[in-house]
Amino acid sequence: MKKTLLCTLLALLPLVASASPVKVAVAANMQYAFEDIAKAFTHDTGVAVQPSYSSSGKFATQVMAGAPFELFLSADNTFPQKLQAAGFAANAPKTYAIGTLVLWSLDSGFDGKNWHSWLKTASGKVAVANPQTAPYGTEAMHALNYYHLRDSVLPRLVTGDSIGQTAQFVASGAAQAGFVAKSQVVSAQMKGQGHWVELPQESHDPIVQDMVLLKPSTANPDAKRLFDYLQSPAARAILQSYGYRLP
Amino acid sequence: MIPDLAPLWLSARLALLTTLILLVVGVPLAGWLAHRRSPLKPLVETLVSMPLVLPPSVLGFYLLLFLSPTGSLGGWLRETLGLQLVFSFPGLVLGSVLFSLPFMVQPVAAALAAQPASLREAAWTLGRSRLGTFVAVELPGVRAALAAGAVMSFAHTVGEFGLVLMIGGNIPGVTQVASIAVYQQVEQMNYPAAHVYAGILCGFAFSVVLLVNLLRRYADRHGANP
Repeated sequence: MKKTLLCTLLALLPLVASASPVKVAVAANMQYAFEDIAKAFTHDTGVAVQPSYSSSGKFATQVMAGAPFELFLSADNTFPQKLQAAGFAANAPKTYAIGTLVLWSLDSGFDGKNWHSWLKTASGKVAVANPQTAPYGTEAMHALNYYHLRDSVLPRLVTGDSIGQTAQFVASGAAQAGFVAKSQVVSAQMKGQGHWVELPQESHDPIVQDMVLLKPSTANPDAKRLFDYLQSPAARAILQSYGYRLP
Repeated sequence: MIPDLAPLWLSARLALLTTLILLVVGVPLAGWLAHRRSPLKPLVETLVSMPLVLPPSVLGFYLLLFLSPTGSLGGWLRETLGLQLVFSFPGLVLGSVLFSLPFMVQPVAAALAAQPASLREAAWTLGRSRLGTFVAVELPGVRAALAAGAVMSFAHTVGEFGLVLMIGGNIPGVTQVASIAVYQQVEQMNYPAAHVYAGILCGFAFSVVLLVNLLRRYADRHGANP
């Protein structure tokens, strides 16, 4: 009996003794891909990961207000640069993926080939992520400008708090269409729902997604391991499978 | 620096409309709850009070699903009335009415139930109809509770955030109310504008709570529930 108890306690020991999980602020577009990457990372290293998902701008604000994140995966390259310039970074930002913007709709009449004219004549709401805080929203606005769709779409525009809420507006049918990340529409959760079309690269600035280690990471060497892991072939394969282009 | 005051006006319009609708809908409901001995009563009472304990995100989630054009109610509304409620001002009104319902119904129902039955029975024997008695005899007796209910409904609607965030879509002039505008300005690190909105809302909240407390003292002193 005593032996069993001892064995149980010994078995629990690694759980108690293991270092604290890596606290990561993850841009909402990366949610599904990062879940897979974190799983693989934990599997390979035994290090737990504690991700939070929101819009990049929100995370940048939170980090500047002292949020204890150790690693930040942004949806662009300006927020990490800003954090570095303000002295919140522990290393130089590094590009880990290049995002793909898609227009997505559950509407049966959605025509991927003639989506400009469809979008112009459609009457339903069009969802974008908040252009001020979510880079995919910023680029969606650029694309609308590029195709001269701004005037016709603006009155029907609704803003998601992050790209995650934007996708949810489309998935629930509340918005007729929405500009989201390709990684979302190819995810297991959304796959096969509705139709989507990739926005041509010339219609907007490339969505260069940078990551950066933050000051709290200096106390947790596992954060740097995850930073390196995100550049490994295993992580890159996962990113690619979610529709990201690689740096 | 004076930021765009439209979100404050929008909040005020939303709160006023919500309060008016609650007066029309909530007061008869309060009367029903105060006087009827229906087996349904505990059920209705529970439903009315649920928004007090329910996270706004739960209500927002269900409203989003029901009201979306592909949802059950939303689809019907669009087919028959050509109406889309999500991401619209009327949608916020509907959500606010549901969300602030207990703030109107509970104080009025409690005050009505506290009135002695002899009061309305006397009115009935004098030939007043049930409705006439309710409107001309019972309601004047609970005017302090009515005022408190109206003020609290108004204030609670102004303070609403989670529900609007979920079904509003943050459209300036349509669904971007004051609480959302504060959030938005803080996110953009535009603190001066956030301070203006937040300061005005603080002053408003202080005035409302003060007013409700004064109403309560008035009711105690003048025996609004004879």
